[in-house]
Amino acid sequence: MVTSNFVTWRQKRLALAFLFVLPALVNFAVFRYIPIYKAIVASLYQYSLLGGFGEFVGLAHYLRMLDDAVFWRSMQATGWYVLYKVPLQIVLSLGLALLLERQTTGTAIVRSAILTPMVTSVIIVSIIWSMMYHSQNGLFQSVLMALNLPKMAFLSDVNRAMPAIAVMMIWKDIGFSFIVFVAGLKGIPEVYYEAATVDGANPWQILRSITIPLLRPIMMFVIVTQTIFSFQVFVPVYQMSQGGPLDSTKVIVYYIYQQGFRFQDMGYASAISVVTLVLLLIVSWVQMRLIRTDE
Amino acid sequence: MKLQRRFTILGQLLVYTILAAIFLMPFIWIVLGSVRAENEILKYLAPLSFRTFVPIHWTVESYITVMGWNATGRAAGYNFGRNMLNSFFVSTAVVVCSLLFNTMGAYFFARLRFPKKSWLLMFVLATFLIPFEATMIPLYMVIRDLHLENTYWALIVPWYASPFVIFSLIQFMRESIPYELDEAALMDGAGLGRILWSIIVPNTIPGLVTNALLEFQFIWNLFYWPLIAVSDRTIQVLPVVIAGTLGQTQQYWGRTFAGSALATLPVVIIFLLLQRYYVQGIANTGVKG
Repeated sequence: MVTSNFVTWRQKRLALAFLFVLPALVNFAVFRYIPIYKAIVASLYQYSLLGGFGEFVGLAHYLRMLDDAVFWRSMQATGWYVLYKVPLQIVLSLGLALLLERQTTGTAIVRSAILTPMVTSVIIVSIIWSMMYHSQNGLFQSVLMALNLPKMAFLSDVNRAMPAIAVMMIWKDIGFSFIVFVAGLKGIPEVYYEAATVDGANPWQILRSITIPLLRPIMMFVIVTQTIFSFQVFVPVYQMSQGGPLDSTKVIVYYIYQQGFRFQDMGYASAISVVTLVLLLIVSWVQMRLIRTDE
Repeated sequence: MKLQRRFTILGQLLVYTILAAIFLMPFIWIVLGSVRAENEILKYLAPLSFRTFVPIHWTVESYITVMGWNATGRAAGYNFGRNMLNSFFVSTAVVVCSLLFNTMGAYFFARLRFPKKSWLLMFVLATFLIPFEATMIPLYMVIRDLHLENTYWALIVPWYASPFVIFSLIQFMRESIPYELDEAALMDGAGLGRILWSIIVPNTIPGLVTNALLEFQFIWNLFYWPLIAVSDRTIQVLPVVIAGTLGQTQQYWGRTFAGSALATLPVVIIFLLLQRYYVQGIANTGVKG
């Protein structure tokens, strides 16, 4: 080897070390960063999967979004979904965590039950729940009947479809925030509670002035991650309502899918993807700032 | 006083039962519904009673049909056994690759010296900010450029390394293993690979189990990606085929129940067996991250 004279022992060791991380770096470059670049490029062209790249259109796709009523409706639908789901999930999972904090056989069984939907596939959950929501033969219709209430449409009703999907997704995702809250509660030193009890504080006061303030960083983390996940909801809509009725559940990622695959307009789909990406970056940046100033 | 205590215990039991029922009822409904005769399901649905759930005539007919083992199943083109194998193959392949490449990557960040290492770590951690579902279509464009669409490769290659797993393993490798061990081994002339294999890996087992578990469940449950990346039914994974053949029409509830049970039971069983690791993994993302 001629080059071996120029390669020092130190350089060789560094090169060897770099080999350990190289496969992972290649993965992230090719499958996580290049897609963003591809999306930006595609958003500037007429582009479809069947026809390939066409004319350069500049910012035309982005301007089209401004006038696209369906795009704005899909932003609205996504916003409603996040608003229905995230706050309720946080409150309910915190309640469950407080209720099941102690380790007993009873709580262990209930905990496993709460986590079961979480390990199940979203698509399977969506299939099962659309049968439960069925407007004629659903399990919920039987429950309504048992309570002497009339039959009720869920997924085919403009006002109920989105809340129905949100309820199902809370049921599915609650295990995540539940586990994180239980772990957070465990991290609060027992002496705080003892001191408060000695001072004669009631459970509500303890919750408000000890538990919640000390859980704040963890709560912020859960709110951030759940907001970002929920903003990208796709599978339940695809399976249960296809965006209907009257676009009431047409969330943004479903609209991107529809434009790209159903209407063969990948250029426009890419432009919406880029806008969604930027929007989510802003959301996480703002929320990170909030966490920082918190600590 | 004693009576009061008994009441609170009873109340607790009632609350726990209701909670468990809320989360398990749909599963009980599909599992029991998958082993009863098709015509029974709708017949006993209302009014709500014991019979809404528990079969009169027990049968595994729905399973035989969706596996394509009888004439009805073959005529409808069901071959769920094959799709389940695909799911197993893809999920296992990703877990194996992920254990290899992420462990190597985490070892680099946690234990090796390298100029500007923190910049490389930024490159990895910044991917946390890339939204997942919103970038599936751009990812599909990349896979098409590589001519991998509609192959097993498309289902495996994008996930062979994960920033989340690397981040999690870095924590495990930094905390519990003294650095003197690495240095002593280096003095003895051991290579980096040798140190990773015989010092780091044995001390990171809980972290590796946790991440393997989370990764398996993540890949097994993926839907949007295989839906767009693969169109050939013979290499397609189970959830997509179930949604495509049973979910859309919902004519035969027994078959839908059987398919859903097949897609659900493997992950639920693995989860129940290794729940401790699973919970630890999720809790770590929240408390440390």
